[in-house]
Amino acid sequence: MSTFLQVIFRSLETGSLYALASLGIIIVFRTSNITNFSQGAVAMFNTFVVTYFFNSMGWPLWMAIIAGVISAIIVGLLIDLVIIRHTKKVSPVAKQIVTLGMVMIVLGIAPMLFGVDPLRLPRLIEDGNISILGADISYNGLFNIVFGIAIMATLFYILQKTKVGLAVRATASNEYTAKLMGVPTKTVTMGAWAVAGILGVLSGVMAAPMTSVTLGLMDEIQINALIAVVLGGFQTFYGPVIGAYVIGISRNLLLYYGSSVWGGQILYILILVFLVFRPYGLIGKKIIKKV
Amino acid sequence: MKTKFNWLRNPYLQFLLFGLLLAMVPVLAKVGIFKVSYITTLGGAFIFAIAALGLNILLGYSGLISLGTAGFMGLAAYLSAYATMDLNLPFEVAIFLAILIPTLIGVLVGLVSLKIEGIYLAIATLAVSEVMRKTFEEFDFFTGGFSGKTANYPTLFGIFTLDRATMYYFIVFVLIAIMILTHNMVNGRLGRALNAMRGSEAASQAMGVNLMKHRLIAFALATIYASIAGVLYVHFIKYSYPSIWSLKLSLDFLAMIIIGGLRSIYGTLLGAVIVFAVPDLFLKQLPYFSQVSYILNGILIILVIIFYPHGLIYAGHDIKRAFNKLRKGAK
Amino acid sequence: MQNNQVDMNGLVLRIEELSIAFGGLKAVDSLSFEIKENEVFGLIGPNGAGKTTAFNCITQFYKPDSGAIYFKDRKGQTQNLLDHNVHEIIKLGLVRTFQNVELIRELSIIDNVLIGAHTDFEATIFSQAFRLPKAVREEREMRAKAYKILETLGIEDRANLPVGGQPYGILKKVEFARSLISDPKLIILDEPAAGLNDVETIELASRIRKIRDELGCSILLVEHDMRLVMDVCDRICAISFGKFLAKGTPKEIKENKAVQVAYLGIEVDHDTKQ
Repeated sequence: MSTFLQVIFRSLETGSLYALASLGIIIVFRTSNITNFSQGAVAMFNTFVVTYFFNSMGWPLWMAIIAGVISAIIVGLLIDLVIIRHTKKVSPVAKQIVTLGMVMIVLGIAPMLFGVDPLRLPRLIEDGNISILGADISYNGLFNIVFGIAIMATLFYILQKTKVGLAVRATASNEYTAKLMGVPTKTVTMGAWAVAGILGVLSGVMAAPMTSVTLGLMDEIQINALIAVVLGGFQTFYGPVIGAYVIGISRNLLLYYGSSVWGGQILYILILVFLVFRPYGLIGKKIIKKV
Repeated sequence: MKTKFNWLRNPYLQFLLFGLLLAMVPVLAKVGIFKVSYITTLGGAFIFAIAALGLNILLGYSGLISLGTAGFMGLAAYLSAYATMDLNLPFEVAIFLAILIPTLIGVLVGLVSLKIEGIYLAIATLAVSEVMRKTFEEFDFFTGGFSGKTANYPTLFGIFTLDRATMYYFIVFVLIAIMILTHNMVNGRLGRALNAMRGSEAASQAMGVNLMKHRLIAFALATIYASIAGVLYVHFIKYSYPSIWSLKLSLDFLAMIIIGGLRSIYGTLLGAVIVFAVPDLFLKQLPYFSQVSYILNGILIILVIIFYPHGLIYAGHDIKRAFNKLRKGAK
Repeated sequence: MQNNQVDMNGLVLRIEELSIAFGGLKAVDSLSFEIKENEVFGLIGPNGAGKTTAFNCITQFYKPDSGAIYFKDRKGQTQNLLDHNVHEIIKLGLVRTFQNVELIRELSIIDNVLIGAHTDFEATIFSQAFRLPKAVREEREMRAKAYKILETLGIEDRANLPVGGQPYGILKKVEFARSLISDPKLIILDEPAAGLNDVETIELASRIRKIRDELGCSILLVEHDMRLVMDVCDRICAISFGKFLAKGTPKEIKENKAVQVAYLGIEVDHDTKQ
């Protein structure tokens, strides 16, 4: 029982990472209609920025993280201003490819700036464990779970209850109409990229202590976050978050009780098969096309 | 004057002449105009062009994206290496197996992922390529794990053992054959159906195009092309590591067809040369050369999509038109 | 599948009690009508009356919730269209055009027309790839046929130009040609007059009649433009809010009280409308 609980705690922690990343993807998708494949790569880049300020400049971790967040905002704004804004007339598939092009650029730039050696980034809370019902969890893990949920709760509060959130939802539901109604859709889209960047660097900083900071830091998170969005459906903001926790939990259960080597891959196959029967995901509904 | 060279407009003749041109490379290397290493670089680019042609059928004509090209190519490479080295099967049998098995898997993947909405396809194929990558790393007996797998130049019909130059000729032969077959397919009924599918799902269905069937055909063709490329690769470069068949390579394939030209056979080849051969031939002296070429490809993709969606293959055509316009203006 | 129990004598299409609802809203509500062989039949109604939905049901883009759609196919056999997939409909002899022209910009005009002949090709992909004689001959014959159709529409001189960039009137003709190449028994035209000027509309009217006479097929016209409908249709069915309103000759429809109310928007008793 306590092992099971321990697995669940670990799952909630990885689930939080996936959820932050998938929330970044869905916010961009809903406001720019782009499936953003660069979420992970940009997050990796900004995590390198954090690592740089922490390791090379000797800043305290919290200050380095703030620097990373600022860098995430700047990069997000630049992406929208320099690239995304000019893809209005481009087909959805070509937009996907544009973000893949961004992945290539980031993968090229990062090693030139930060070198090719794997770097270390410590946990925010260095040590200490807590035992809940016989299952151990580190303070840092607990913090990650709570912090992830808190960030998402704040975002959903803003989305649902504030004027800014209304503007975002209006843009997401119909950009053209929103524009006519006076919603500054360009600013909303730009903001969405910045928020996605922040969510990305936070998930990166959470993930980094589990491995090391390399070019491939976010690969797995990126793939799982994308699949979480597909699983949860593209039509709501909360669907992907639910999808992320479902993936986090089932992945760890499969890794622990199934196969420690193949658990992740088995999950991918299971989800693909699931999507055959529910092509619009857990939450999504079929959209009737007009011809 | 134009009518005099009308016979030159025959596309098949153009393909053959083009093939002869490519076949000159080893000869030029022999007399010392080219470095011998150019044979490997260009041969490699042509192999990648074959896989990219398959992706062009899928993405350019059918409008379906795949991030699994590298995975399928790698699978075929390992299969052919395993069949010839470990099972001692003849090259011809190895080719057959190395095309058949990935294609069957590809069709199965297609059946699953093509039921999912169009924009999900990239994600579904990304997941599949992850499964493949893991397979390459973990199935030691078959792939040699991280240390990789080696293979030899092939022996055709059990008699002709190829070397680097003759293998290059073989690659050019396969490339030209595939270019001709592709030309025939995309300019006939199949090409029209795929175009229709991309242009308007509703109209193509109303005209009797079975969407699922044609998506599967496009997916299967892309897999077959990638498999052929995989076989050629492993018997030309003579080794295969898991890290070759990464997402990065799949992105390179995308870069090739976008930069070179969607729905263009020669454009695909141009793209392959730009993405693979040009950095290798000209940028190698630079520090961080692979990073620089990667950044350049990324920037080129974005620029081409936004400003030049038909690809660089049309540059010559457009320059000529602009030139003619200028000349007319001067008169 | 054969449905001998349905009386299709002299009919090409018979719709019985067709209903479809989207999220509780009945877009088409037990609609019945039939189209005779060699007839130009009009389906009219004010905006949002369910015309387009009705014919999306006929062409199987939507699967109706209930009802039956019988169609006498090319071989003279009666088919319930609900037994078929959307891409199988054209093979039976039923073809449609689209309200906002669905053509492939990158292809030439003649290639766009040839898409309409997709199901008539017999050569396999293999024989196309290797250009076996059969495939070459088939392609040549179909191309000649497409060219002939373009000739009858007077746009054969543009056959090899790409569709992208052609004027709207030409695009409409190309779509028309694409539907003709499949030798249909019934053509459904979805608002063919939309976006055409007066001269083009008059030309369209005579073309519709000419096609009917020369090909001996029936035409279902879903249209907004009342002049065109009144001009070319033999019979008309008027619907409103998904429900049957009236049926008859153009003259009868013009004089029908219910149709006038629906079109002129005079207040009706709301209780009867649900």
